[in-house]
Amino acid sequence: MRIQLELFGLARIAAGTKELALELEEGTAFRDIVRLLSARYPAMIGNVIQPDGETLQPPNIFNLNTRRMIQADQMDECPNDGDRIVLMSMSAGG
Amino acid sequence: MHGYSGKILHIDLTARKTWVETKPEEWYKMYIGGVAMASRLAWENIESGCDPLSPGNVICIAGGLFAGTPVPVGGKYGMASKSPLTGFIGDSLSGSWLAVTLKRSEWDGIVIHGTSEDWVRVFVDDDRVTFHDASNLVGLNTYETEDAIRDEYGDDQIRTACIGPAGENLSRIANVSNDGRKAGRTGQGAVWGSKKLKALSIRGTKGVSVADPDALLQLSYDILQAAQGPHTQKYRILGTSSNVLNMNRLGLLPTRNYQQGTFEDAELVSGEYLHENYKAKTTACAQCPIACEQIGHVKEGPFAPAMGHIEYESLFALSSNCGVSDMEASIKAIVNCNDLGLDTMSTGVTISWAMESYEKGVFTKEDFKCEKYPEGFEARFGNGEAMVALTEMIAHRDGYMGDLLAEGTKRASARVDEERGTETYKWAMNIKGLELPGYDARALKTFSVGLAAGTRGGCHNRSAAYDPDIKGDVDRFTIDDTRGELAKSTEEYAAVYDTLPLCKFIRRCFTGKADRAGAWPAIAQLINAVTGWDFDYDAVDLIGERAHTIKKAFNIREGWTRADDYLPWRWHHEPMKEGASAGHVVTEEELEYLKDLYYEAKGWTKEGFIPKEKLIELGMDDVAEEIGV
Repeated sequence: MRIQLELFGLARIAAGTKELALELEEGTAFRDIVRLLSARYPAMIGNVIQPDGETLQPPNIFNLNTRRMIQADQMDECPNDGDRIVLMSMSAGG
Repeated sequence: MHGYSGKILHIDLTARKTWVETKPEEWYKMYIGGVAMASRLAWENIESGCDPLSPGNVICIAGGLFAGTPVPVGGKYGMASKSPLTGFIGDSLSGSWLAVTLKRSEWDGIVIHGTSEDWVRVFVDDDRVTFHDASNLVGLNTYETEDAIRDEYGDDQIRTACIGPAGENLSRIANVSNDGRKAGRTGQGAVWGSKKLKALSIRGTKGVSVADPDALLQLSYDILQAAQGPHTQKYRILGTSSNVLNMNRLGLLPTRNYQQGTFEDAELVSGEYLHENYKAKTTACAQCPIACEQIGHVKEGPFAPAMGHIEYESLFALSSNCGVSDMEASIKAIVNCNDLGLDTMSTGVTISWAMESYEKGVFTKEDFKCEKYPEGFEARFGNGEAMVALTEMIAHRDGYMGDLLAEGTKRASARVDEERGTETYKWAMNIKGLELPGYDARALKTFSVGLAAGTRGGCHNRSAAYDPDIKGDVDRFTIDDTRGELAKSTEEYAAVYDTLPLCKFIRRCFTGKADRAGAWPAIAQLINAVTGWDFDYDAVDLIGERAHTIKKAFNIREGWTRADDYLPWRWHHEPMKEGASAGHVVTEEELEYLKDLYYEAKGWTKEGFIPKEKLIELGMDDVAEEIGV
């Protein structure tokens, strides 16, 4: 399946790109996407991703198709083909 | 008593005299510091029913419990008066070196009464207070004023809060400035201007007494270490303006005066774009290990050499909300506001109201005549030059439009509608007169009631109810019967930080979790190490409820009714057409239901008044006597 992953904030700086087109196997979970990012962009570990390489560092969070935030206990769910995900650091203020 | 001197300094500008008031320890346990203590002082000292720009209004400054100690991000103070923008409580927070030197002067608070006949500045030099002619400072901007006073004494330990030309000209959206920080929102600068008070300088040379220095050092060290880690990395690298892209993607980024929730050029006014193209450096407040201030610098072109710190709330108001995609114009407009002493948020939202009014034919080019543009200009959305010009016009009340917009959106629209028979109130984006923040609450249903019921008007800093909406803890597009409690809970959570005060950016650095369970036990330890008290989780939690209650009580005494907890017309009647939040409004029925839930959660009457028993339960017997029902 094909997923579009947009990167905002520190994730974008660490990856050096705004957006990734990911070809993933069916059944790939959100947590697997974090693992993939850890492997491809080690600079994300510590700031965007926790040292275990598979957990997002709060307040970084996946947004699915602009409508839904994927909570920590939902990371084993799987996106669908054509989904658009944003990795954002979600804390307000200023 | 540790952590406090027990003394409040009163200064009368009319009689040029001072006196000292002592407060008992129990009073400090109730109101702690920051916005709660400042608001309590406002309750005690402001003449009920007074015109906010009359001598009956009073400026109340309250120190921070942790200011001048090693506690990270504790260098803050509160300021309160009756707001000339809302007619209700105007409570602001600022920070940095002035907060530290206030603490070292051993004044727990300063209350400024009366009105000077001529422009004056006041110098609090530890115990000694002197009044000085300020005519030489009139017309100087905020930074120039601070520098001039520091240079006169040749002592950089003297710190100054002051107003710029906007406050001098009684703009109701003027703020007070110190050390590059602002006591913003609600028009505190106009109150200073009405008293002809240009500046208050403080030199504090004494120590701060704490109950358990060893424990305080260890606790502070642990928090400091955490504050260097991932919990604050976003603030340190990108600052708050990284929220532009987040809000845009969620369809919540106010655009063209809240007509849209997405901006086609969001990338060009994003924190990421600022970081890559305009960031000069980062700076920090005194006592802060985070350093979140991202300094943007325009090096060339018509807006050079503008340089200043850029926050999300300033940026949305003076970019997308004015339809402006030129980051250089936005930086210049923000810098202008900071120099001239204007609240960036209120200024941006007021300008966007004028731009929409222009595009709808209410205003013509001639309405925008001013000294610099004698023929006027076309104030369309997207015109960055017009936006920048309007910041200067507002501060100086230059021309018809500068004078009009200096009144803020609510008064400006009421005046125009009366004079011209128009309906600009439909796009005057304020609550209680305070211009709205950078989150479109049509699709943040919990936040909508938090904003509507806010004691100082539409404010994201006082209501933190956007948090569960945005993070997906609840469905932000719908309402249910949990939202009243959620609005109450998040508002009182924020009030704890605003009262100590501690910067909220530290909230994850106690245990990694930002919720009450993660933070309150650690905050109780900090309070106890400074004061020697025995605060626990519940006592910390009560700080927030009491802080909010004294502000609400102030408003009730000023004539508040349930009808004052409203949302702007647009949010009831005009759904956004595109983006992730398209199609949503908060209906009037929904808002009334949410208010019912919220008042019930607060333990108030259906009409939103506070029962006497509730106030007595909070230890506020004198308040119960005056406004309890």
